[in-house]
Amino acid sequence: MFTDPTFLFIQTLNGLQLAMLLFLLSVGLSVIFGLMNFINLAHGTLYMLGAYFGLWVYVNTGSFWVALALAPIGVMVVGMVFYVTLIKRLRTAPPLKQVLVTFGLIFVGLDAVRMSWGNLSKSIPTPDVFSQSVTIFGEIYPSYRLFIIGLGVAVFVILYFVLERTRIGSVIRAGVDDRDMVSCLGINVDLAFFGVFCIGCYLAGLSGAVAGAVFPVEPGMDMSILILTLIVVVVGGLGSLKGAVVGSLMIGMAETFGQVFLPQFASVTIYALMVVVLLVRPGGLFPTRAA
Amino acid sequence: MKIATKLGMAAVVALGAMSPAHAADIKVGMILPYSGVYAGIGKEITRAFELGLEVFGSEVNGRKIVLVQADTEGKPNSGLAKTKKLIHSDKVDVLVGPVSSGVLAAMRDTVHNAKVPFVIANAGHDGISGAKCSPWIVRTSFSNRQIVRPMGKWMYDKGYRNVYLMAPDYAAGHQMMNHFKDGFKQAGGKIVGEEYPPLQGTKDFGPYLAKVKAAKPDALFVFFAGGPAIQFVKSFGAFGIGKDIPLAGAGWLTSPLYIKAQGEGANNIIGSANYVPSIDNPANKKYQAAFKAKYGRGGSEFAVQGYDAARVIVEALKVVNGDTSDKKAFMDAVRKVTFDGPRGKFRFDQKNGNIIQNIYVYKNIKQGGAITASVYDVIKDVQDPSDSCKS
Amino acid sequence: MKNYFTLERVTALVIVVSCLGFVDFAGYYGQELIAEIAILAIFAMSLDLLVGYTGLVSLGHAAFLGIGAYATGILTVHMGWNVASSMAAGVIMAGLIAAIIGAFVVRLGGIFFIMITLALSQMFYAYFLKNREFGGDDGMPGIPRLDLEMFGLDASDPAIFAVFTVIVAALVFVLLDLIMNSPFGRYLLAIHQNENRMRSLGAPIGLYKLAIFIVAGMVAGLAGSMQAQHMGFVSPDAMFWTVSGIVLIMVIVGGTGTLVGAVVGAAVVRMMSHELSSLTEYWMMYMGLFFIGIVLFAGDGIYGTLAKYWHRARDPKAPQDLAK
Repeated sequence: MFTDPTFLFIQTLNGLQLAMLLFLLSVGLSVIFGLMNFINLAHGTLYMLGAYFGLWVYVNTGSFWVALALAPIGVMVVGMVFYVTLIKRLRTAPPLKQVLVTFGLIFVGLDAVRMSWGNLSKSIPTPDVFSQSVTIFGEIYPSYRLFIIGLGVAVFVILYFVLERTRIGSVIRAGVDDRDMVSCLGINVDLAFFGVFCIGCYLAGLSGAVAGAVFPVEPGMDMSILILTLIVVVVGGLGSLKGAVVGSLMIGMAETFGQVFLPQFASVTIYALMVVVLLVRPGGLFPTRAA
Repeated sequence: MKIATKLGMAAVVALGAMSPAHAADIKVGMILPYSGVYAGIGKEITRAFELGLEVFGSEVNGRKIVLVQADTEGKPNSGLAKTKKLIHSDKVDVLVGPVSSGVLAAMRDTVHNAKVPFVIANAGHDGISGAKCSPWIVRTSFSNRQIVRPMGKWMYDKGYRNVYLMAPDYAAGHQMMNHFKDGFKQAGGKIVGEEYPPLQGTKDFGPYLAKVKAAKPDALFVFFAGGPAIQFVKSFGAFGIGKDIPLAGAGWLTSPLYIKAQGEGANNIIGSANYVPSIDNPANKKYQAAFKAKYGRGGSEFAVQGYDAARVIVEALKVVNGDTSDKKAFMDAVRKVTFDGPRGKFRFDQKNGNIIQNIYVYKNIKQGGAITASVYDVIKDVQDPSDSCKS
Repeated sequence: MKNYFTLERVTALVIVVSCLGFVDFAGYYGQELIAEIAILAIFAMSLDLLVGYTGLVSLGHAAFLGIGAYATGILTVHMGWNVASSMAAGVIMAGLIAAIIGAFVVRLGGIFFIMITLALSQMFYAYFLKNREFGGDDGMPGIPRLDLEMFGLDASDPAIFAVFTVIVAALVFVLLDLIMNSPFGRYLLAIHQNENRMRSLGAPIGLYKLAIFIVAGMVAGLAGSMQAQHMGFVSPDAMFWTVSGIVLIMVIVGGTGTLVGAVVGAAVVRMMSHELSSLTEYWMMYMGLFFIGIVLFAGDGIYGTLAKYWHRARDPKAPQDLAK
């Protein structure tokens, strides 16, 4: 069975699907760090809010697609509010303080979610258009997972295009390389950062809303994905799109194939992978600057 | 200044230790998770307990029954600390809870040594009916063995000969599967494979389901609950495994608390549970009606455990006329309680204190657009063996 | 050292004395509370070495607590060792693992350090959760307490055990205070203030950081061993990320870099979380808000802020300590 090409192909799809969800989360986290030099530990909380907002919109409108459209915007608004009230105030404070504040927000977010939606696990129903599974090489495969893969690829293409081919993209890339220089050139770096932060929050919310149909929507879903996301970011390297892609693919595949081929090490495979990468490249595979 | 602060803090602690309730009140310590992974179940049991008090009486011989809640957070060390607080600081007359077997394992010795009546309302740790039994402990919920072992023989009798097993990789998961294995192999069946995905780390059941499919068993028997159950059932449905391989499991797989979230995948699943909302007897109809009137929805299997716990305590209090000062007499009364409840005839095993109950085998069927569990078969009067219980 | 009676030392002495005095008239529950807080204080002080003195924020410190606890549990319950040796072994195990992890983690600073310590402690958690030999998620019960027979004392008496924990905590404070005021400690403080300058002076930064990481791990291991004895029980939850999170909150709330701040933080946070949880099921949110408030408005922590005012009141013209 393990050498059966169909089996391997199906597992590759499973790995890709996980990788895409991780990519949506890690790219925001990574680029925000690269630009603003702070890690938002509450990034997982934004993901969780995306899932809950998605569920809430679905329950009130009956449409998965409306939920998918609105949930990330809702999360982006939440992020903007926090940026303006808390994070901006800490722009001059040592980075440690910013991180600690986001850490405190994890606890706040967790209980806020419990207060609003209760403790029981829920789920977003798969949209009708994807409820029929497709047959690939004679194997039944859920079409919704293919959608996730497609969505991840589409987001990557859009981000790549924006970063590499547009003016705003070059401002962002320059800002990651040398923030002071860019602001010397008269460009409003703060505004660019704010924009990047918003996009990062949007993507986290999108990831949550999409994942809400596959993973249970429950308090605590933020930490289970955050640890994986942090590993992706550490392995891929902070600050780069390429790092986020490569890291997501590596971790997504390692998790999936690790569970299949090395079940007795299932919980430690990715940690071992992280350790190996860090021994060889302490800054991750594609760092944009020394950590 | 520091001394004053320290003494001030000491005063706060001392004040906190004095219960605000009237001295003549009967205190029930609800040692349950109100935060963390199991908070939903903790609240469900508490709600049902409160309903039970409303229905069966919240006052005995002029003494009011008062609840003191303590949050175990689902963690053994918090659970143990809170247990000590309830026993020594709040001086409760009886304890009700906990949800997780880990917390139960941590608190058992403390409760036994302090000789405090303890009504377990969920945790299914098998040891409690066996080596860890105690004259001070009874259980209204279930033991893991009760829920799963009868299914071994049941599935064999239904014609399944080769079964694949799956459960999360933690103590309860392995215990459940071992019980099924015992029952199934004893009847003559064969286990063709077992998978134990990591408890909190499974991001995808796809790889495991693919292995199951490749092994081509007659049926798949599993144990999943809560979030993982939602994810598993949805994946099972999405991968279309059910077409060739029927799915059966311990009843929480499609608990009423989240069966709606599981969608089509929940259809046709067979489960074994100590309670199903559709049980047809007068006490259950009354329970469901009362629960719906108070909380707007039907009561789950977790709730009925709390509801019955309330009745047990009230009935025992009536026997001792509300006098909890003779703890042994009160505990004896608790152990002897019997009544006709939503699950059928309710009684405790007099030796090991575990509930003796029917196990309902249900099948999920689609009725009027919704998928609900309908009673398919009943395995009567399932009881845990008492040989290792020395009390 | 000109002034032996620094504010920190006097405060610590006062706390110890009042705890010991309180043990006498506290009931069973009060004694249990003191023991818990003393153990948490040891744990928090060990983290303060990293956070306050070296600037390394760890979100995985609970791993060492767990190692100390499990080592004690496994050696006593499964292998029949006596408690004293198991305690020592637990501390050494924690130190060894700190050495291995530290060797490759301390050279990464800041954000990487936070993320990796978080990930690694979750790995330990997952391992002990899965491993049924050591009880898995049900945990390992039956852990005995240190044998104090030679002093004619019964450690199972909560009052005796509470006094024992307070004395150990006091000894830990004295030991760490000595270390941090020694040349080694001064070096670390200098590295924290200006790493590049120290590097240009030729100081082996990595080695110093590794050394303090090991010490912190060992002290956390000691706290873990004592916690296992106190509860008679150990479970993987001791290593869950929220434990690392709460102890970090304790250190920040009390005030970093003072050791006694960690003790104050441990007491305040522990009592807050228990009082809050009996008032509301959403106590984590209030704890989080309180923590954010402290970080934003009282960055020096409770003890730190009070100490600042004390120093300022005593000598308004003296330059304030730059390390804070």
